[in-house]
Amino acid sequence: MKLGIRLGRMRMRNPTMLASGILCNGSLLKRAAVEGGAGAVVTKSLTREVREGYPTPVVVGVDCGVINAVGLANQGFASYLSEDLPLAKEGRVPVIVSVAAGRVEEFEEICVRAEEAGADAVELNLSCPHVEGHGMEVGADPAAVSRIVKDLAGVMKIPVHVKLGLSDRMIESAVAAEAAGAEAVVAINTIRAMAIDVDARRPVLTNVYGGLSGPAIHPIALRCVFELYRELSIPVIGCGGVSDWRTALDFLMAGASAVQVGSALAVRGIGIFREIEEGIRRYLVKNKFSSVKEVIGIAHGVKR
Amino acid sequence: MPENSGRQGGGVEGALSYSDFRFRPARIKKVVAESPKVKSFYLEVREGELPRPGQFYMVWLPGHEEVPMSASDAGADFIRITVSREGETTAQFHRLRRGDSLFLRGPFGNGFSLEGKSFLLVSGGYGAAPLIFAAKEISRAGGRCTYLSGAKNRSELLFLGELRRLGVEPLVATEDGSAGHRGLVTDLVDAVLPRGKYQRVLTCGPELMMYEVVKRAVGQGIKVQASLERYMKCGFGLCGSCVLDPAGLRVCCDGPVFDGELLLKTDFGKRRREASGAGVSL
Repeated sequence: MKLGIRLGRMRMRNPTMLASGILCNGSLLKRAAVEGGAGAVVTKSLTREVREGYPTPVVVGVDCGVINAVGLANQGFASYLSEDLPLAKEGRVPVIVSVAAGRVEEFEEICVRAEEAGADAVELNLSCPHVEGHGMEVGADPAAVSRIVKDLAGVMKIPVHVKLGLSDRMIESAVAAEAAGAEAVVAINTIRAMAIDVDARRPVLTNVYGGLSGPAIHPIALRCVFELYRELSIPVIGCGGVSDWRTALDFLMAGASAVQVGSALAVRGIGIFREIEEGIRRYLVKNKFSSVKEVIGIAHGVKR
Repeated sequence: MPENSGRQGGGVEGALSYSDFRFRPARIKKVVAESPKVKSFYLEVREGELPRPGQFYMVWLPGHEEVPMSASDAGADFIRITVSREGETTAQFHRLRRGDSLFLRGPFGNGFSLEGKSFLLVSGGYGAAPLIFAAKEISRAGGRCTYLSGAKNRSELLFLGELRRLGVEPLVATEDGSAGHRGLVTDLVDAVLPRGKYQRVLTCGPELMMYEVVKRAVGQGIKVQASLERYMKCGFGLCGSCVLDPAGLRVCCDGPVFDGELLLKTDFGKRRREASGAGVSL
């Protein structure tokens, strides 16, 4: 049973992807593909300037997930594209470059350079919950989403994906992104959250606020994907709390064409992609499906 | 891959849960000044497993940063960390007294593989922390070890008394000649390695020193393990900050202890990444 899927113009050998901001560096993206079996990998979000990120602590565990406020740390897009992207591409699966920016021109500069450097797609991070002016407020503003995506779709040859976070206007923003030329929507990003240590009697993260990921957010992400599938004709990529083949498969049944995996690597290791792929394969065989495409959106009852 | 896989990585041990990545407070039972720059903190541990030599904790002092620290000893009801005053955060650690608390996540990482009977331990500066712990475990298991200790000067040599109490006579090198051999600890390695019939070399210290030790041991066909230090953010394999390229090895969970032959295929001894992820030459 082949698990290959198409994500717009992009082909993947299986529907699992490494989520942005996890593992991050080129050599580890390659490892996620080669050793882990990921069908595609997403880089950390690249910005125009070098960003050190916030002082530690920037990551902490909670009962059913992780809260982080790394602060979009990265070496700047130019350095990443020349030093890390080539290594990532050695993994021989699609490499999607995540981009974070404050203004349309910055998005355009970074995305165009990513395409020149050999990226297979770009993912616009319009949903970082812990850096001001770099995400959430853009993703929650359909007019801004439309402006940015329209500009990029006009100049890019490779697909433009848009990563949206949980907001009241997520659906509107996704519809605006599709109308403006996006080829896929990724939902969702981490959800703004915090942790307080009762012994220290203070917030754990230096930035106070961070983004919650992991099993805690999966049912919310699942609902978002389910709703987006109803409203969009472009593919939806499910992200949020995928921890095993079941939480990947329910995303597919809600309508996701692929799933992104992040926090679960901390508890399951890099091999989680292959575990998910094999679990889904077993399910499909046992239930007499002939391809993974048949389960995408199946929870909606009617074939699209 | 490292001989001794960490708690993360592969899902084989599978028992990890997200709450393993939260902090727990550890009260300071005792503070010992090891040198003018280095203090050891004996921490009361109420829960969580004890570390193996070479494993580390992410240690947080609320109001300041969180830093990775190797365990330098552990017993039934305590763990010890040994802190060199290097910057703002470690200077704050040095102000702490008995009764104060530090906040820990961990232990993380793989630790040294201590199979064998005959060991050469090579320490530089505060790299002595995991090695004194390893020396104790080796002695407890009936193994033999030669311990080489290097530092800038006599006052910065660590744990010499503790080693002698274990029955290990340390060989010493100082850069200014204030104790032992005047020069580098690698000079001592050159002197003892060919004659010692060692099964394993363990090393921890400045990276360029470890690089020299690893090259010498690998050159003579002796198994060598080095414990690395890298900028870390999460400590459990997610963020990628501590990666060794081009192999994609994470110091926090694929290490911090690596087999020397593997290290020589990476940028070990040549390049490291800063907080932003930018590579800088060593």
